[in-house]
Amino acid sequence: MCGIVGFFAKDGGGQAEIGQTILGMLRALGCRGPDSAGVALYGPPDDGRFVVRVKLGDDGDLESRAHQISSRLESFNGVSHFSTIGAYARFLVAGETDLQQLTAAIESLDKDFEVVSMGRRLEIVKQTGSPDNLEKTYCVSRMKGTHGVGHTRLSTESRVDLSHSQPFWSHGFPDLAIVHNGHITNYHQLRRRYEQHGVRFYTENDSEVVAIYLSEQISKGATLREALERMLRDLDGSYSCLAATERELGFVKDTFALKPLVMTETNEFVAVATEEIAIRAALPGQYSVREAQVRELRVWQR
Amino acid sequence: MAEIACGSRDTREINAEIKRTIAAGDRDIVVKDPGARHNLGVAVLAPVRIRFAGSVGYYCAGMSDGPHIEIDESAGWGLAESMMSGEIVVRGSAGNGAAAAIRGGTVVIHGDAAARLGVSMKGGAVLVAGNCGYMAGFMGQKGALVVCGDVGDAFADSMYETVCFVGGRIGGLGTDAVVESPSKEDAAWLDARLAQHLPEARKRGQDFQKIVAGRKLWNFDKREWKVWQEAL
Repeated sequence: MCGIVGFFAKDGGGQAEIGQTILGMLRALGCRGPDSAGVALYGPPDDGRFVVRVKLGDDGDLESRAHQISSRLESFNGVSHFSTIGAYARFLVAGETDLQQLTAAIESLDKDFEVVSMGRRLEIVKQTGSPDNLEKTYCVSRMKGTHGVGHTRLSTESRVDLSHSQPFWSHGFPDLAIVHNGHITNYHQLRRRYEQHGVRFYTENDSEVVAIYLSEQISKGATLREALERMLRDLDGSYSCLAATERELGFVKDTFALKPLVMTETNEFVAVATEEIAIRAALPGQYSVREAQVRELRVWQR
Repeated sequence: MAEIACGSRDTREINAEIKRTIAAGDRDIVVKDPGARHNLGVAVLAPVRIRFAGSVGYYCAGMSDGPHIEIDESAGWGLAESMMSGEIVVRGSAGNGAAAAIRGGTVVIHGDAAARLGVSMKGGAVLVAGNCGYMAGFMGQKGALVVCGDVGDAFADSMYETVCFVGGRIGGLGTDAVVESPSKEDAAWLDARLAQHLPEARKRGQDFQKIVAGRKLWNFDKREWKVWQEAL
């Protein structure tokens, strides 16, 4: 099962109510994934600084852990707006900061620390439980921006905790996030190959390899569309997958059309979801919805 | 005419009200704001008219025997699955597995159909004004599958006696699917059915291709081992 949703506002100047819309869509798919819920939202265009979100841990004294991180960050220039929200520390860093070094410095402090998202506009918030729980802790509905994706998870093969929840940020690659419904059947083979090249996996969730794969392709110079095309060739299994970058939203459906995904496009927005019920629940008005075809992939760009 | 408002009610309550309304003697029912809920109007076993004024989710009109069900917008997976008789009309598009395993009746889709349309049909007719996706007609045993637009890959794979007609391009034929020219009787049948159900898609003189089983997979013959290797 699992439910995935994506929303892309064509106008609104970066101030569209994307949090409200994506939460509304996720609530309608809560029954497809009671284990966890999460969103990846792209906020209004900013001044080039990076937003960093760090998972402090699944339990324990999160305040003192946040303090541990803020002390460590003192040796970095350009860090500002440090705050703690739920299980996350969030702060901004100047564009010229060495992000890899920063990530390594934070993650070496404690095995529970994980940079969950990093990007000029990307913010990932996820936790175990329902979309309502997510809203209670993080007020997702207040977030504005241009586009975003969301996920409700029914775990089939890996554990239920914050790190294994979706969306996945592609570690090390700013602003790229994915949500995935399905199974990547050559996951272990791909993982072995990546690990031989020194790529670190944070979870046992096969969806993580989608984010790693797409960031590898885009790093090699592929566009998001080309990366999704290559994914159809290289990733086996049944999947519907949404991927977003700073300016794009895209989806791909597997070669057997085994996983559901429906979409609609109007002059104002694009909405994609596992079930039409999610789109109808969150977006009133007249529009038609259709199921994506086998191997279909689409990318919208602003 | 009876009206049923879905509001915030769940599917079970709405379906129970449909059944109650039919039992009370109403023969014409409109269901407002279905909101793409799943399992709406399943197992309706009476010759009544039901209109869903919006979209429906999965398995709408499944196991129908006799009703005329119309859906103003689109339908999700498994539309009219295992229908015995009746007519199911979708104004928009249908999701995967529409008209799967129907034994009779007619399914009319004014938009497009997604993957696995009419798989394992055992009778009845499916008519699509637009295109259909991957693997339509797979293992069709009886009945007719008509697509006025294009069909996807692996079309009419491993069929028995379902007869398919395609007005557009064929993305790829499935194993043992064979293209024939329609006979005069076929053309007359097609014209009559399109005039009745999809007048907007009926173009006089449009060339339909007829696709049937080549019967190579009906009986196992080890001399045809190569065909089987490809099929399995």
